[in-house]
Amino acid sequence: MNDDADLELARVVGRALQQLPLRHAPPTLAPRVLQALARRAALPWWHHGFPRWPQGARACFVLLCVLLNALALVGCARLVADLESTPALRRAWALMSAWSEVVISFMRTIPPLWLYEGLAVAAALYAMLFALGAAAYRTLYR
Amino acid sequence: MRAYQDMVFTTAARLVGHDAQAEDIAQEVFVRAYEHFDELRSSASSGGWLKTVTTNLALNHLRRYRARWRSFSEDDGTPYDPPSPDNLLAECSTEEHRALIERALRSLPADQRSALVLYHFEDLSYQEISARLGASLAKIKTDIRRARLALLPVLQSSGITSGALRD
Repeated sequence: MNDDADLELARVVGRALQQLPLRHAPPTLAPRVLQALARRAALPWWHHGFPRWPQGARACFVLLCVLLNALALVGCARLVADLESTPALRRAWALMSAWSEVVISFMRTIPPLWLYEGLAVAAALYAMLFALGAAAYRTLYR
Repeated sequence: MRAYQDMVFTTAARLVGHDAQAEDIAQEVFVRAYEHFDELRSSASSGGWLKTVTTNLALNHLRRYRARWRSFSEDDGTPYDPPSPDNLLAECSTEEHRALIERALRSLPADQRSALVLYHFEDLSYQEISARLGASLAKIKTDIRRARLALLPVLQSSGITSGALRD
């Protein structure tokens, strides 16, 4: 089929399809929609999305989040203060600091080239894992 | 809802090619429309909104179940056997011809049907269809051409093809 015939085919098919009238929706559609809406309306408010919660519940939730954040901040501040005042915690903190210094000094002894090679190997392994996953998906699910 | 239910159902049915699934999609569209009722009630473009949501949900549905049908990105090379017009009566009414075209459309492979419907009913370009279906431009063009060729015998039987296509 040449280009002219292709264009003619597109025109004819397009015109025939455009002339098709709408199909009638099945009579069961409207009752099904109403049932689905009734089912949704019967759900408790916390099963709906946040924007559909009652205003009071939304305000309480936001307040609770703010309180929890404030508590977390105060807790962190207290922890830092306790670290300095409690001997056991101070020793634990010192131990962690010493350990992190050991790790950092160890990392500094590693030649940068090794680090780059390690990163390259990790990236290659990740890419291989991704490719294996994609191949498995195409094989098993298509 | 009554004003738009035929349009929503038809859009979904032509894309997914399955009436029961189209009804499920139409139901979901109207449930979503209810959630946006205040915006849609005062909007002049509520029909467009409904059509867009229907198209999106139907395409999502096709994508989700692509494993059951042919995938959009692969062509297994199986030749498609278009519906034969041999058994059509010459004196079929226009209504019957339209029903035959609908049936032929429904019997197309999912990837060909969805591309054809998006092109001819939704007025999307090849590039837009390619982006929406996540398939290459070449595949979309091939699918649409194959779909048209598959519909050709039915159109010829209806006597609505031009002389250039009769040979």
